[in-house]
Amino acid sequence: MTKRLYRSFQGLLLLAICIFFAFKAANGQLTWYINSRFVPLTIFGIIFLALLSQTVFNEIKRSRREEHEHDDHDHHHDHDHAPASLNLWVMLVPLLIGVLIPARPLDSSAFSTKGFNTNSPLVSGDSSTQIFATKSEERTVLDWIKLFNYEEDISQFIGQKASVIGFVYFDEALGENQFFVSRFVVSCCSADGFAIAMPVEWDDAAALEQDSWVLVKGSIDSIQLTDRLSPMIVAESVQAIPIPEQPYLFP
Amino acid sequence: METATSSKRLPRNLILFTAIGVLLILSISMAPAGFFTWMRGRLNVFSTVFLGIFVEAVPYLLLGTLASGLVEVFLDRDQMSRWISNRPVAAAVSGAFMGMVFPVCECGVVPLTRRLFHKGLPLSAGISFLLAAPVLNPIVIISTAAAFGWGEMLFWRVGLSLVIAVVTGIVFSVEKEAGNVLRPALTLSIEHDHAEAQSNDSIPEKFRKALLITADEFFEMGRYLIMGAALAAALQTFISQSVLLTVGSGPVLSVLIMLGLAVLLSICSTVDAFVALGFIGTFSFGSVLSFLVFGPMVDIKSVLMYSQVFKRRSLLYIIAIPFLMSLLSGLLFNYILP
Repeated sequence: MTKRLYRSFQGLLLLAICIFFAFKAANGQLTWYINSRFVPLTIFGIIFLALLSQTVFNEIKRSRREEHEHDDHDHHHDHDHAPASLNLWVMLVPLLIGVLIPARPLDSSAFSTKGFNTNSPLVSGDSSTQIFATKSEERTVLDWIKLFNYEEDISQFIGQKASVIGFVYFDEALGENQFFVSRFVVSCCSADGFAIAMPVEWDDAAALEQDSWVLVKGSIDSIQLTDRLSPMIVAESVQAIPIPEQPYLFP
Repeated sequence: METATSSKRLPRNLILFTAIGVLLILSISMAPAGFFTWMRGRLNVFSTVFLGIFVEAVPYLLLGTLASGLVEVFLDRDQMSRWISNRPVAAAVSGAFMGMVFPVCECGVVPLTRRLFHKGLPLSAGISFLLAAPVLNPIVIISTAAAFGWGEMLFWRVGLSLVIAVVTGIVFSVEKEAGNVLRPALTLSIEHDHAEAQSNDSIPEKFRKALLITADEFFEMGRYLIMGAALAAALQTFISQSVLLTVGSGPVLSVLIMLGLAVLLSICSTVDAFVALGFIGTFSFGSVLSFLVFGPMVDIKSVLMYSQVFKRRSLLYIIAIPFLMSLLSGLLFNYILP
């Protein structure tokens, strides 16, 4: 491959990655992959990739102009060694994966390798005072699990109003009128995501679809799943919702 | 040279890809019905984890290759020898602290180190820079402090990373011939025909060249980042971490598991402290510390990138010395602070 052909593909690929990231940023799907904290860095990446592809395209123009001048002097130079073209093809991989495989945030298909928790030992040990300050209807699945994990006296929460979102997961550990409402917790990117889940009691549970997103409203109860008590919602309503823009919880 | 090998490699790759494709089609056509749902689930996990690592790492890789490009055009060999001593211990120590000037993570540090070697940086300094910089830099120190506070974890993370990097650097100072450690591509000049730096270039001209080098290295190193991310994602798709976590007790096993997890997760050092925070409570202080010390030095994607810079035997030392020292320090902490 000549240097100029290499540069052309390089410029195109830089632009393609830039557009791919920009597209993900525009439709809000960046947070399907990374913690929202790092979105500004990706925005920087998008701008910098655009600048790089511009520089590469200018270089192609420049080398063409230069060659023109060299031709006039009948002076050929033959040192057009391009770097290995494999560099280019590998860069196609993320683009192909991103374009060909329909984007979906992590869901219960990841449970078989990533596992899931109902009274999370993996939840960081910060204080639960902040959770106490939030109204019970605004607490997330993670907040409820943290509360049950850190508070000695959980009877104070029984009967409190709850309203959480998450995706549906059916498990053999639960009864027929029960399902898990689950979220992934992501500190950095989807690679470190781990799932937490909270059982829901709902008579029409069987009508729900695995991995569909729901808004569950009801009151808090407790259930014994492992050696500890886990929070459970006795649902008054379960409403289907689209995949939220931020499917993960960022601790 | 390079074009010759790549054109020879292409047909062989083509045959390989076709063979894999045929095998895939054959096995899919014979698969039971449940296979497709299972496969779709695996594919979803793979693509989301893979793109997660990729999206997260690209800005850092861009910053690292930009630093490398800027070093190429603005720093000359004389300046380098003035700043970095040739005595092994002094060089290793100053190399370890260079991260404070070049704040890069483990993706960005590889192209930068390679460039610095090219500029005549002594081996011991380069290797201790490579291993220490992903921790000993302002960004990582602040993010570790944000996760764990200005306390013991931060102190020991920085301290141990420094010690391990310096020791590994000194070990390499025994080797006087850089060509025995580094891959040959380095001892040749890295050819950027229109991008060779000249000291009489104007400032915009220098920036133009620096950006071209950035673009080239982004592709060269991106290749290994992508392969590493794909491997890490594949492992996460098929190997259960929950098994790892549930067996993760005992002073020895828990350290080994955290070391394994550090390699498997391949998370950027600028953010791994937040991930490690999640392990506190399940794992002992020493085990989490070993995760925080070893992860930035060795993980799947960084090893693939190192393989571009170092010969295989040296690569083995660069993995083994930090591994043994992280293991040892994790064990010491587990026995002293149970």
